[in-house]
Amino acid sequence: MKMKKLVSLFLSAVMVCALASCGSGSGDTTAAADTTAAATESAAESGAEGESSAAGQEAAGEAFTPKVGVFYYSFADAFISSVRSELDAALTAAGIEYQNYDGNSSQATQNESITTALSSGTNLLLVNLVDTASVDAATTIIEQAEAAGAKVIFFNRAVEGDDQEGQVLNAYDSVAFVGTDAPEAGHLQGQMIGEYLTENFDTVDLNGDGKISYAMMMGQVGNVEAIYRTQYSVEDADAVLAEAGHGTADDPALVYFNPDNTDKYQADQAGNWSAQAALEYMQTNLSQYSEANGNMIELVICNNDNMAEGVITALQAAGYNNGEGTTTIPVFGVDATESAKGLIASGYMTGTVEQSATGMANALVGMVQNVAAGESMDAAVEAVVATDADLYSVAEAVANKLYVAYSAYTG
Amino acid sequence: MRNPVKSIKETSARYKTLDGRERKRFWADGILNNAIYIILVIFLIYTYTQNHLILSRSAIVNLLTLVAANLPMALGIGGCIVLTGTDLSAGRIVGLTAGLSAALLQGTAAANKYFENLGEPGLGMVLLTLLLVLIIGGFVGMVNGFFVARFQLHPFIVTLATQLIVYGACLMFYNSNGNNGQPISGLSEAFRNFVTGSFLPKIAGQTIPNYVVYAVIVFIIMWFIWNKTTFGKNMFAVGSNPEAANVSGVNVFFTTMMVHTLAGVTYGYTGLIESARIASNVANTGTNYESDAIAACVIGGVSFVGGTGTVGGVLLGVVLLRIIYVCLQFLSVDQNLQYIIKGAIILLACSIDMRKYLTRK
Repeated sequence: MKMKKLVSLFLSAVMVCALASCGSGSGDTTAAADTTAAATESAAESGAEGESSAAGQEAAGEAFTPKVGVFYYSFADAFISSVRSELDAALTAAGIEYQNYDGNSSQATQNESITTALSSGTNLLLVNLVDTASVDAATTIIEQAEAAGAKVIFFNRAVEGDDQEGQVLNAYDSVAFVGTDAPEAGHLQGQMIGEYLTENFDTVDLNGDGKISYAMMMGQVGNVEAIYRTQYSVEDADAVLAEAGHGTADDPALVYFNPDNTDKYQADQAGNWSAQAALEYMQTNLSQYSEANGNMIELVICNNDNMAEGVITALQAAGYNNGEGTTTIPVFGVDATESAKGLIASGYMTGTVEQSATGMANALVGMVQNVAAGESMDAAVEAVVATDADLYSVAEAVANKLYVAYSAYTG
Repeated sequence: MRNPVKSIKETSARYKTLDGRERKRFWADGILNNAIYIILVIFLIYTYTQNHLILSRSAIVNLLTLVAANLPMALGIGGCIVLTGTDLSAGRIVGLTAGLSAALLQGTAAANKYFENLGEPGLGMVLLTLLLVLIIGGFVGMVNGFFVARFQLHPFIVTLATQLIVYGACLMFYNSNGNNGQPISGLSEAFRNFVTGSFLPKIAGQTIPNYVVYAVIVFIIMWFIWNKTTFGKNMFAVGSNPEAANVSGVNVFFTTMMVHTLAGVTYGYTGLIESARIASNVANTGTNYESDAIAACVIGGVSFVGGTGTVGGVLLGVVLLRIIYVCLQFLSVDQNLQYIIKGAIILLACSIDMRKYLTRK
């Protein structure tokens, strides 16, 4: 009996070890540490180079060897994953020492990894904030970093709402933001939808009532980006359509398909922006609304591509969007994931808004290099914008806020 | 199965012998014991008065497919709850197996092909993949069962741990092979036909997708396992009192391990079905699926006290949750209120249902 116990204890220990070793073998952070440890020397070199070039100008600070911590809001997000692999490659190529952290969609987790990283000597934080547009969350992080003498570059997710512009970024010198102008994706999506409908109004208007009845899939209640996308996609499309003579400002051409729903959206209740939620909503909608009943949903707008894919799956099951011989309901998303591009190419989806992961990663590496060379945040932003004025721009009122442009994608 | 006509006759004969007070109690008990059915019917009738389409054929088929998607996992978790345990790893196992199924069964025209060397999969490949994900799901379940049974750890903590391990593996999977965390889709025709296609003829003008039929099969198999096999009887024995079961010659270790393995198999199955049903898979697919499944079991009378529960009850729980979902959509209820209503109904249904076990004890 004792022998048996020992054997089982041994076996389970072996199992745990096997799991642990298999985990670290292909683990993201260890792999990064391996490659970067060897590259630290070259990082020092590039830092020195930067110093000499900046010496001519008025250097705002001293040059230092960057030890970068990258804090992602969630490893599971498709777009963020693309940024992560691009950024990993770009940082490694630039010979910068870095480590990745997963916030796992929790601001508390992210703050804890930031304190840990700061205590282990990280001097430059790239933060993909979990709680978007939370001035308090951003300020907490900045103050911790300042106390430890580290600098912070926020990216992708907004640190301040539109009405609070400059509240965080203008208040600190050691901070910058690299990302997109949150409302822009909604504006672009609305513009694209408006233009598409102007051209194809009669085809899309299945029941010929002069109105387009639309459904809206919202990714997450209370998320700034989701709110802007939900609002501006419809408003801007209506504006474009009104100009083309469809509807007016008081009596817009786009009408939410269900007049009883005053929210005018259906939101993923788990806040995951998931295809599953969109699929189940759309499937349930389609059990009431159909061409045969004369009340078919004629347009679907989604906050992201994943939800768009769920909607298309539901439409296809109901006999729509199956290519030739079937009615195609235009579906719009945001993100331009590979699979969405595939759907657009085959004609099942109509359009999406592209955000450049490579552009984001390159801007971040540029920022890191410039800041490590001793430049001020404002100067670093300016230098990065100068590399590609089409893709990058500086926010009007905030000199340390760098925007990466969105672009419409229709195949 | 008891003859329903006979049992109604028996009940009415017994009812005649009762006096006034006992008769009152008979009705009160009857109403409370069948509270879930009554809530269901009231909810449906109310929705019907507001929106007649709730009982249209397409709405009923929609409800059926939603139930079919959730049922197998709930049946798997049900077994763990009978053993007074739970399973938190279910959703993540679905995420991993869904990603694997999608990657193995992508069409050749897929935008971002995960395994570039794989050709267009046929039905044989679909069945092979099904077998593979059943084994993977079953293996994780077995690991859960092993640690629960061997070290007397509470399943809550064991499955919490495996949930993390499986999620990590899933993230690695999505980020390797040049996929960079992109959704895996572009599934082959053979795969989508197998799951969402229909080999049944149209019933009243409505197509019934295959996964509804599969769910019925899974339900029958589970009913058979729970009610007609020694293993099923042992499961209930271990659930109500492991020491007593051990003394009477039941292999508690084996039974616990098998219950968790069986649960894992249902998650693997759910992964394959979800993969094609949603047709877009990301690392977050399946997140929190277990919470609805656990709620369905408990609503359906599978008690955390252990040793009680029926497959029919689990089905009823799943149906109730799905009817709430569909009715709230048909009633166009405000999104914030939907959370409150769903929570309140779960709480109400569970407490009324638990009442009958409380009085019995």
